[in-house]
Amino acid sequence: MAISLEYVVKETSGNLWRNRLMSLAAVLTIAVSLALAGASLLLKQGVSTATSQWKGGVQLLIFMQPNATDTQTSTVENQLKSLPEIKSFYYMDQAKSYQEFKQLMVNSPDLLQSVTESQIPPSFRVVLKNPSAAPSVGSLFQQQAGVKDVNFNRGAINTMLHVTSIVQFVIVGLAAILLISASVLILNVIRVAIFSRRREVAVMKLVGATNWFIRIPFMLEGMVQGLVGAIVAAGAVVGIQALFQYVVQHFNVTILSNFLVSSHDVLMTEVFVVAMGIIVGTAGSAFAVRRYLEV
Amino acid sequence: MIKVDRVHKRYKENQYALADCSLDIDRGEFVFVVGASGSGKSTLLRLLLREERPDSGEVWVAGKELSTMPGWKVPFFRRNIGAIFQDFRLLPNKTVFDNVGFALEVIGKSKRHIKTQVPQMLELVGLHDKQDRFPDELSGGEQQRVAIARAFINRPLILLADEPTGNLDPENSWTVMGLLERINRTGTTVLMATHDVGIVDSMRRRVIELDNGQIKRDQNRGVYGLGQPST
Repeated sequence: MAISLEYVVKETSGNLWRNRLMSLAAVLTIAVSLALAGASLLLKQGVSTATSQWKGGVQLLIFMQPNATDTQTSTVENQLKSLPEIKSFYYMDQAKSYQEFKQLMVNSPDLLQSVTESQIPPSFRVVLKNPSAAPSVGSLFQQQAGVKDVNFNRGAINTMLHVTSIVQFVIVGLAAILLISASVLILNVIRVAIFSRRREVAVMKLVGATNWFIRIPFMLEGMVQGLVGAIVAAGAVVGIQALFQYVVQHFNVTILSNFLVSSHDVLMTEVFVVAMGIIVGTAGSAFAVRRYLEV
Repeated sequence: MIKVDRVHKRYKENQYALADCSLDIDRGEFVFVVGASGSGKSTLLRLLLREERPDSGEVWVAGKELSTMPGWKVPFFRRNIGAIFQDFRLLPNKTVFDNVGFALEVIGKSKRHIKTQVPQMLELVGLHDKQDRFPDELSGGEQQRVAIARAFINRPLILLADEPTGNLDPENSWTVMGLLERINRTGTTVLMATHDVGIVDSMRRRVIELDNGQIKRDQNRGVYGLGQPST
């Protein structure tokens, strides 16, 4: 059955205008909740990038010289095996290290260009039985031939991991609640709109309008609300990201200096935000219309 | 054209709106359904429009069995049925033209088709000079004529009328009846539920009387009152 585009556009824009205050409320709720959801996703990405070196409880990093010989490397390895304080360790060769480096420096293409794989130091990632032993164990290797540098797990990283995980949890929870309330609000907006038009819906049914014919303008209305809200939210996410970057660079906040978000992450977040907006808006209205279509 | 076969319908326990109802109406007939309020007239019409389903029994309208018809087919079925009501059911925010055209718009007819069909239909009901008015600017009789135009614009096989003269004065009632007769003469089956004794008695058409959900009387060329057989 042909549904004329003109009819749908006329109906949808008419509905949106008639209920403009409610529409605005729905749009704003969606925008705020999606902006929060998006920002928390970015935060999560940033934290996991910044702390990828320290994943799995690694407390000690032993960087070898990029040109360290195989003997030098195996000496360190044998020594690590023999030490009773060490729980476990693994070796990151140059290829893997370079991948990690690329991931960490994704926002600094200049640096990426100037460094080749052969310049990257391979490293041992060490987990200790007792973390407080890190300085003493580290000092054993500091002067070893072929070792470039030894890096302890800094307490700050731990604290940051801990704090951000709590913050993330709170933000995601808040965003979820707001998303639900946005859905309910849209549901209500559409319900009010359709209630005020139930006579019209009854007449439409009487003269043989299909359910989709009645439903589509309402669903489109919800979709427009969701989309507008999502666009506002997407703008806000970009803004938050830019502000964060500015603060980090401008005030030289060292703890956050390797807290990085790639443009790919930002793009994916925006895609998520827009998709969620459309889904929440459209599905909400489809659900609201349902009960008026019976009979 | 319409066949109701041993239909039962109740809304509450032990309270039948229709009990063991059977009737048969041929193409082109003009039938009055009479009976006191609550006798089941409206329920019968709602069943024929598939706004309700029977609890048991079969309802055949225009070759379709309605009690088993899936919901998605109902809109297409209704396009073959015209319906008018005591309260007109016009859309107050649309003009006369748009109200009538709405029935075509909803089933996806083109603008051009609507522009040629609607004026013809308004001509038929004698309202061609009022096509830009809104329903509340018209008299009750005029509003019912708009509703008739809307119901008939798809040339339905059947026209269902639920007390169409219930809100009208005698003069307007007769105008409406005249239109229904004309529609009937084009071959459309007309089924009209009514309380109007004068109309039923003077039209001398088939009369089906419902009482407490049961068919009490079904006679050709009948009258409203507890009728002595005509002939």
